[in-house]
Amino acid sequence: MTLLESVGRFSIRQAEYIGRLAIQFWYCLRFSVRASPFKGRGLRWKRTLRQMGDIGVRSLPVLCLVSGATGMIMALQAGAELRRFGAMEAIVTMVGTTMTRELGPLMAAIVVIGRSGSAISAEVATMAVTEELDALRAMALDPIDFVLVPKYLAMLVMLPCLTVMSVFSGILAGGVFAYFTLDLTLLAYLSRTAEILLMRDIVSGLVKAVIFGSIIVHVSCLEGFTVSGGPVGVGHSTTSAVVKSIFLVVLADLLCTTFFYFFWR
Amino acid sequence: MTESTRSTTELREPSREASREAVISVRDLKVRYGERTVLDGVSLDIYRGETMVILGGSGSGKTTLLRHMEGLERPAEGSVTVKGVDLATASRATLTALRRSMGVSFQSAAMFNSMTVGDNVALPLLEHSALAESTIQVMVRIKLQQVGLTHVEDLYPTQLSGGMRKRASLARALALDPEILFFDEPSAGLDPVIAAGLDDLILRLKSAYPITIVVVTHELSSAFLIADRMCMINEGRILAVGTVDEIRGNPDPRVQQFIRREANEASEASSSYIMGV
Repeated sequence: MTLLESVGRFSIRQAEYIGRLAIQFWYCLRFSVRASPFKGRGLRWKRTLRQMGDIGVRSLPVLCLVSGATGMIMALQAGAELRRFGAMEAIVTMVGTTMTRELGPLMAAIVVIGRSGSAISAEVATMAVTEELDALRAMALDPIDFVLVPKYLAMLVMLPCLTVMSVFSGILAGGVFAYFTLDLTLLAYLSRTAEILLMRDIVSGLVKAVIFGSIIVHVSCLEGFTVSGGPVGVGHSTTSAVVKSIFLVVLADLLCTTFFYFFWR
Repeated sequence: MTESTRSTTELREPSREASREAVISVRDLKVRYGERTVLDGVSLDIYRGETMVILGGSGSGKTTLLRHMEGLERPAEGSVTVKGVDLATASRATLTALRRSMGVSFQSAAMFNSMTVGDNVALPLLEHSALAESTIQVMVRIKLQQVGLTHVEDLYPTQLSGGMRKRASLARALALDPEILFFDEPSAGLDPVIAAGLDDLILRLKSAYPITIVVVTHELSSAFLIADRMCMINEGRILAVGTVDEIRGNPDPRVQQFIRREANEASEASSSYIMGV
């Protein structure tokens, strides 16, 4: 196989993958209205609430630890450099804006990919291997409607919530650092952070969380829906879901940051 | 249509078959996975109210044929018509409506492990009927009793034996009182006593409801017991279609080899090699 053929095949595979994601996303949007708590028996709404618990509540402790550690690391690294210039107070701005715009949503997404994305992919892939998805189709139920939509809606709600907690944990950890190095009380640190944060910082972080959540659910479910090769395939689909989700989330982060940099200064 | 198919479906008793309504019609169905041809021009009619057993060895294409009849796969070449609906061109909505009149019992039972047995059986009723939840609970108990299961509503599928799971899966398939019921290898992985119990259950369903049953199996004793007509499939082609007696008397050596459970030459050669002869 020539280099050109390899590149061509790779490009076609990637285009096909993006196409599948787009079709799945479109059907998911169409079915999402059925998850209204006021429609039918509210079965999908109940499933959505259960997913919210799985995705959101159970991810919270580990996310707070990871984001808190990240905030502390950032404060320590910045402090080491800023001390030389006598600009230690810039730590407040640095930790506040970076956590809100960038690291808060990113850390939340990475924790959710590791915890929930892999679980979603394994669950859907197992359903495919054990013919449960075929059973749904045979019962005139669409797997996108029955399996994906509750997870998607739960993620749309929970990832922004987790992002807020992630940002808060990171800022709080920075506050602890400031307390010991700047003689700044925690309350003073938090009120100064609130002063320097702009609406743009908060909105851009939450917009990213919504986009990241969509990517995580759709990539994880697609890997599960398209599994092949029995139980071994389940393992492959889980690994693939995590790798692809992280890559696409970072890529989306770059695109979002570029967009906000140029179009919303 | 292959020669052998034509000889069995068109030439045999045309007046009897012409007078019956074909609820499922497969015409010249060809299925390929990559370079491998799984079904090669299969044509078959299944009539209302009959029990058709599709027989064939492993990898003969019988499950692929069944999946096309169930609408789980769309035909790329040829056509599959169920109750007058061409599955190749049917819209998603039409296919969904059609599936409500079908029940499927899967080889692996395919119960939802995250739900109780009762919730599994209730699911199609909750989704597709306007019945009150209290009525649905009663119907779930009735459906489970029909398949010989009692007091299992609150258990999870993993807490049931293989035979009980298959029965529960059948109860779920029967939930919406389907017109067509599909079984994929109903006795696979079950001991002979439990497998015989399932055969018995299929026979009772047959006598109790005006239902069209399609069974895919390679279990000969089960097939001869429950079938009204049988279809023998080999390497993606239909070898013979007919009643139980017609299949027993079919002169095709491949049909006779399957019925008599004779090993083929390749396996004889490998056993000679193992024995060091």
